[in-house]
Amino acid sequence: MQIENDRRMLEDELLVTRCQLGEREAFDDLIARWHEPLWRYARRLTGDDDAAAETVQEVWLRVLRGIARLRVQMSFRAWMFGIARRVVMDRLRVAYAEPSVDSVDLSTIPDEQDSFDVEHDLSVMHEELARLPVTERDVLVLFYLQELTLIELADVLAVPIGTVKSRLFRARHLLRRNLIDKGVRS
Amino acid sequence: MNEVPAVSVQEMQRLLSAELSLRSRVGYTALLLLALAMTIVVASLWLTEPTLVPRTQIAFAVMIAIGLSWVAYAVWVLARRRVLLAGHRVLSARMAVVFSALFVIGFVAIGLSDHEQRAAFTAAGLGVFMLAAAVGLLIRARRQFARLLERRRVLELELGRMS
Repeated sequence: MQIENDRRMLEDELLVTRCQLGEREAFDDLIARWHEPLWRYARRLTGDDDAAAETVQEVWLRVLRGIARLRVQMSFRAWMFGIARRVVMDRLRVAYAEPSVDSVDLSTIPDEQDSFDVEHDLSVMHEELARLPVTERDVLVLFYLQELTLIELADVLAVPIGTVKSRLFRARHLLRRNLIDKGVRS
Repeated sequence: MNEVPAVSVQEMQRLLSAELSLRSRVGYTALLLLALAMTIVVASLWLTEPTLVPRTQIAFAVMIAIGLSWVAYAVWVLARRRVLLAGHRVLSARMAVVFSALFVIGFVAIGLSDHEQRAAFTAAGLGVFMLAAAVGLLIRARRQFARLLERRRVLELELGRMS
């Protein structure tokens, strides 16, 4: 799992380096590799096919225009999802100005290896996921569906890791409660 | 909701191809160089003509402002819209070196031919600064290009070892 993750990051870095050199084919490869994950992320957050398509096009424009300035140290996918998130949030600014963080005991929050069963009853879960407020939906999609690490999430959301954990905790709690209400075993 | 993107990978690649156009980058580099050259020529004429009537001075000032506006616009496009990547930077810097060298040689030749001598040598002098900047940009661009090539080589080796 870790080796596979390292390999994916190296492949991304190689593609980014080729793009920074100005290789035309590298951009095609980058789009082919990330177009669908980006689209799925945008669609989950916007809940709308047209809005997701427009969002993804805007994200690609910004990626192409900004890739020359991307530092080697930064993970490409964290940078790209950070852009995607900003584009989506610009669209959802009103929806995003919603409920604030409840106080959470961070010591009770598990690490990345948390075993919450996201595979369970997928259709109900996706339905309930789409009903969550955008802040909670955002963090769950990035963590579980796009498989970003906590560090990458902190980069994308531009918040400390502790805040990422508290958002994850709140989002999981909310989703779990909604699933229980629907009669799904958590 | 669909399970596949409304805009396919191929469509997105096609939509974004204009963003990656080399021709457009070369065009904006040429615009930048020509606007800079025009500004230098007008400034040289203005600096070397002591007896200009106010109307002509205003005309020169307007022409310099126009030239600088085009320079600023081309720089903005190349930095924010048709962004120059490492390979493009090397190409653009080479264009700048050749153009600046021709500019200097041309105005030295005009100066030596005894026609508008002071203005021509002033333009050539300013052109030398343009040439020096172009050479500096070329050196920096080639270093960055070489650094990225080396990084690509290392990454390919690492990935080769992992497979």
